[in-house]
Amino acid sequence: MRVTRRRGHARIQLESVESGLLATLLDDLDGALQTLPDDDPVRQRLFPSAYRSDDDAAAEFRALTEDSLRDNKAERLGECRAELPDGEGYIDLDDEAAQRWLTVLNDLRLAIGTRLDVTEDDDPAIDPSDPDAQLRAIYQWLTALQDSLVHTVMGH
Amino acid sequence: MPGTLSPPQTAGKTLPAEDVQTTVEPDRPWITIVWNDPINLMSYVTHVFMTVFGYPKSKAEKLMLDVHHRGRAVVSSGTRERMELDVNTLHGYGLWATLQKQD
Repeated sequence: MRVTRRRGHARIQLESVESGLLATLLDDLDGALQTLPDDDPVRQRLFPSAYRSDDDAAAEFRALTEDSLRDNKAERLGECRAELPDGEGYIDLDDEAAQRWLTVLNDLRLAIGTRLDVTEDDDPAIDPSDPDAQLRAIYQWLTALQDSLVHTVMGH
Repeated sequence: MPGTLSPPQTAGKTLPAEDVQTTVEPDRPWITIVWNDPINLMSYVTHVFMTVFGYPKSKAEKLMLDVHHRGRAVVSSGTRERMELDVNTLHGYGLWATLQKQD
């Protein structure tokens, strides 16, 4: 994976295995958006409460906003999924598409990071005997991809 | 004698000026707060503050560092409706945002 800036566009270069991985992750998240129960931590993180100490106002806000928030997430995700190269290749992103990819990558990290219960103090070295070792490696890869894309978009 | 720009009187009565002063709501009574979480990247949060609010990078970075070090930061203030809009937008970007009446 490499993110570069070319003629005003951000380019994400992906190995074949990386394209396949992203396709799988996006499909998984698409399914999760539609099926996760209300009390699932991933769902609660993707659709947080807007009021901390007013349950009625929080419920009213949720009733007004959650469906369209979910539709927007699913639509963005589908657009990114459609842009993925089949195998090794690259995606060139204008500012709007780069913004969309940043947000979708963030949703993926929120979902996986919540599932892994990550903390700010996590050891970046992955213990190979950890049953979540593979998912942690995927999470770290997504983090590197998102961070590279943010810095490319911000012009660093 | 009232001036020509005085508001029309409705419901047949108005409050004395002093009482009006004490019952007027403050200009910016609601605030949007972003809370720290272990997943959102510092670079991404800064970028979102610049994109959503049009803040210059220096202000966006200061707010992001407040979130990171103090656990929360007030990122905007205004009417309740405006803050609900901001919170909804920030939720779209995946930030953990809430609104409340200013203390």
